[in-house]
Amino acid sequence: MVKLAEPAASLLADYAPLEGVFDEMVDETGQPRAHWRPFVDALARLGRAEIARRADGAARRLREAGVYYRAYDQDADQAWPLSSTPVIIDTEDWRTIEAGLIQRAELMEAAIADFYGAQRLVRDGHVPASIITGSPDFLRPMVGATPAGGRYLHFYAADLGRAPDGRWWVLADRAQAPSGAGYALGNRIALSRTLPETMHELDVRRLAEFFQRFRETLTNRAAPDSAGVCLLTPGPYNETYYEHAYLARYLGFLLVEGEDLVVRGDKVFLRTVAGLKKVDTLLRRLDADFTDPLALNPGSRLGAPGLVDAARSGAVCFANALGSGIVESRALMAFWPRLARELLGADLKLPNVATWWCGDAAKRDEVIARFDDIAFAPAFLGHRNPLFSKGAVSGRDLAPDARRELLDQLARRGGDFVGQEMVKLSSTPVLNNDRFEPRPFQLRVFLAATENGWTAMPGGFCRVSSRRDPLAINMQRGGLAADAWVISDAPVGYRSLLPSAASPDLRRGIVALTTRTAENMFWLGRYLERADASLRLVRALAARSGERDHAAVAASEKIIAILQWWGALPYRQDDAVWPAADAAHHAMTSTDAYGAPPVLVRRALNAASAIRDQLSPDAWRIIKALDRQMMEGADAHASETYDRAERSLRELAAFSGYAHENMTRTTGWAILDIGRRVERGLSLARFISRLGVGDTTPATLEALLELCDSQITYARRYFVTASPGAVADLLIFDDDNPRACAFQAARLRALLDELPASARADAAKTFRESIVQLEASMTGCTPDRVDAAFVFKVEEAFFAVATAFSNLYLSDHDEGAGR
Amino acid sequence: MKYRVRLVSTTRYEAAAPRGAHVLRVRPREDDRQRVTGFAVEIEPPSALIVDGVDFFGNGTQSFVIEERHEHFTFRATAEVDVRDGASFAGGTTAPWEDVRAAAWASSHIDAQAPAHFLHPSRIARPVPDITHYAAQSFTPGRDIFDAAQELMRRIHADFTYDVDATDVTTAPADAFAARRGVCQDYAHVMIAGVRGLGLPAAYVSGYLHAAPPSGMPRLEGADATHAWVSVWCGETAGWIDFDPTNAILANESHIVIGVGRDYADVAPETGVIVTSGKQALDVAVDVTPVA
Repeated sequence: MVKLAEPAASLLADYAPLEGVFDEMVDETGQPRAHWRPFVDALARLGRAEIARRADGAARRLREAGVYYRAYDQDADQAWPLSSTPVIIDTEDWRTIEAGLIQRAELMEAAIADFYGAQRLVRDGHVPASIITGSPDFLRPMVGATPAGGRYLHFYAADLGRAPDGRWWVLADRAQAPSGAGYALGNRIALSRTLPETMHELDVRRLAEFFQRFRETLTNRAAPDSAGVCLLTPGPYNETYYEHAYLARYLGFLLVEGEDLVVRGDKVFLRTVAGLKKVDTLLRRLDADFTDPLALNPGSRLGAPGLVDAARSGAVCFANALGSGIVESRALMAFWPRLARELLGADLKLPNVATWWCGDAAKRDEVIARFDDIAFAPAFLGHRNPLFSKGAVSGRDLAPDARRELLDQLARRGGDFVGQEMVKLSSTPVLNNDRFEPRPFQLRVFLAATENGWTAMPGGFCRVSSRRDPLAINMQRGGLAADAWVISDAPVGYRSLLPSAASPDLRRGIVALTTRTAENMFWLGRYLERADASLRLVRALAARSGERDHAAVAASEKIIAILQWWGALPYRQDDAVWPAADAAHHAMTSTDAYGAPPVLVRRALNAASAIRDQLSPDAWRIIKALDRQMMEGADAHASETYDRAERSLRELAAFSGYAHENMTRTTGWAILDIGRRVERGLSLARFISRLGVGDTTPATLEALLELCDSQITYARRYFVTASPGAVADLLIFDDDNPRACAFQAARLRALLDELPASARADAAKTFRESIVQLEASMTGCTPDRVDAAFVFKVEEAFFAVATAFSNLYLSDHDEGAGR
Repeated sequence: MKYRVRLVSTTRYEAAAPRGAHVLRVRPREDDRQRVTGFAVEIEPPSALIVDGVDFFGNGTQSFVIEERHEHFTFRATAEVDVRDGASFAGGTTAPWEDVRAAAWASSHIDAQAPAHFLHPSRIARPVPDITHYAAQSFTPGRDIFDAAQELMRRIHADFTYDVDATDVTTAPADAFAARRGVCQDYAHVMIAGVRGLGLPAAYVSGYLHAAPPSGMPRLEGADATHAWVSVWCGETAGWIDFDPTNAILANESHIVIGVGRDYADVAPETGVIVTSGKQALDVAVDVTPVA
């Protein structure tokens, strides 16, 4: 036996595998298995401090990449904790898993095709009809329809566990809309930066090729004149929305929601800023029952009426087909061995957990006789049985009255239940306070149908229990996620996981911007700009909070009036005047005044959440950080107001930088910029009307220049104290000053060319003319004659541009399409 | 018995709807008890295309999209139907209910009328423990399923108060049961939930009711709008038998079947998706006239 290097021995010294379970890392003698040895040695070389440092790094990277998991009952996103230790799977084990699951995917496909087609399996008595009809995913409108694309299943996943004897077992099938592949990808990217040498040394198989082949298969079936492959998501409130956005970005698919789709006749279209675009391929992450409120769940607000007819007619390919989820029923677990022989003429290569369906009286009596050794579970998904609020239950653990209740229910409606063999999971090491500890885990493996048959992703998503209990039924939500490393028997070449210049075709498929995305982009731009203006007012006010000078106090009062005017600050009783410091503090911490920075930032965040796939991780991170700053500052002291406003303005500037540098110059970017330009023009006009015209003083003009970031330019140009005419010239007419009205107008004119042509000539003309009007509003006046009425005209012209833009691109204008 | 039936339904929208997509299920069924000799549907505002179809359970559908802005939506359905005289069950013994249950779960029939479709929880009619226990009192060990179901129907009729104000179209069976009040839809859902709770197949039948039966019998409830009753599968031999718990009778020549499904959601006369922000008001009138 090879002797372990000293540090490795110490790393393993206090590692005690769980009693009676298979441990992935060490064998019965406590020695590391051969395929774990390079990993253990590498960790030993790094030392505990370095391991901990790198683990923190991986966690941070995941957070920064926006790997969030939203729990339905919680408002806030939660980080998905990643174990710094992967589960390592050797070549031989992987061959077994891969072959077993490819066979199983073929079996699932054949079974679904029979259940919705010839129904021979039922008629010939291989499976009772009540097992088919019991699944809430047996979608009756799909019976007899042939799925577009010639198959039901395009993406399939199975949850696996390893028994004490070392054999892998299938614990559950996922065929509705399997989740987790995107998380697996995120985990891999984070971990590969943590332990790059080790991954290389071990020849860990890469994931990129799997995704590329899946993407190619779907992309090839989308017609060239279509909107390309669209990923249909339930939206930002779904617990796995992060993954939908992440996968859409990674695969180059358009992320769409039901409201983006419209069915005309039996064809599906996407509402885009350029009009309706045909859709023929939808990667579906929305549960089938919610896809069509007319034909399926009438309570759904997430789908689009008519999608079922479109699927039936073959006009649109759903991946997976509507109704595929039927094979997820636990009841079918009892029948797969038989169905495999019937459909494939072969035994299952990889067994599934032994299952008895209690709708069969003899089987029911068998499990009742072994009550204490059996795990009981609902036979079908979607049952709301309080006995199973946490999933499966062990017969042994049931309290007497719960046991009586279950026996009653088994007698009345036995078919609602299955009994299953209690599965003990294998354990894998996780780092806990710099020490390895064994924890039970399940492995989810993903398979994709390609033009050359099924292919498995060499890796997977592991859920590692937070407790030591190895019983599968006691696995709870929570715990850790872990990457799965599959060891190659050949050297592994490099292939990027990230979109890069070397793969320019990656986003080629995206040709459309949905109306919904455009709307969120526009408002993201507007809210961020409005937050910027609001923060500038707060900062200017905070800077003047100690002033006693009469003119300075008067300027402060004008700033306060602006804050009140646009809803950042309430009016006080009897119109009493706010002290400057109080006003600044109040606006900076308000979570209900609609014009206050925290509220505006939250609105920007909401708009950004709905278009996660369009934003770079950096841009998203900045908005998220800004929101966090606002929320954490809710109980900040008034003396911190200036610094907090200053810091938030820096974050906003950073976002602008990213928007400028890192977003590709797409239509989406142009729309974001239009939102910003319009809003900046409006703010400028409002600042000028209160501080720059009428009874101005040097103090009000200085405040105005400060709000518009223009003191330095002004000082450089005029060397004198501010005069109203010169200030007006700089802030209204100077088209070289990025904070002048004329500059915004010039940008808006330039952005016209970046926008898609619209079929609606009238609205397009109105929008073009609104920009001409805006430019015209700033002519025919010399700077020294600018007055309130003039500024008001400019403000109205900016407003008209916003309205015309909304009418052209953001309103529902699909009338007339399809006729 | 021959009838002319007419259904007029109007929905008014507080805020005008720019567009609406609708499916109607108002065409009387063709089966061995009734024949449809005439049928027509009119809608307002009009639609460019009304597509006739048949859903999974064999119910006739009309699907269409209204593309113009509208403040109200009206449909009028007229039909002429010939219903065979007599009750839906001629009498005689059926099987013990436990045997029927075992046969339903083990059945290898999966066509639209197969019992397997009607065993499981559906959107509205899910087994509810209280209703199951209530129903169980009629299903004593070894009892003939027809006798048991008939007794359950009579008990529901006796224990419930017909009350058009107590419930609405969205009331859950558990709530109607707790209040012991409701209309035909609630009576039917409660009976279905009870029968299914015991592991037996039960279907929801929507239809029209002719309220003034010929022989001077009492006027029946449920004739002012569409009616609903329950079909219970009583084994391979007896098949489906229709019980009307609102009137405590077996369905007969006064019952004109429109649709059969798992509950109201499968056979609602109108299902629509409209974009409107305000409230809606529904007004339905039904007219059933015997013809010579």
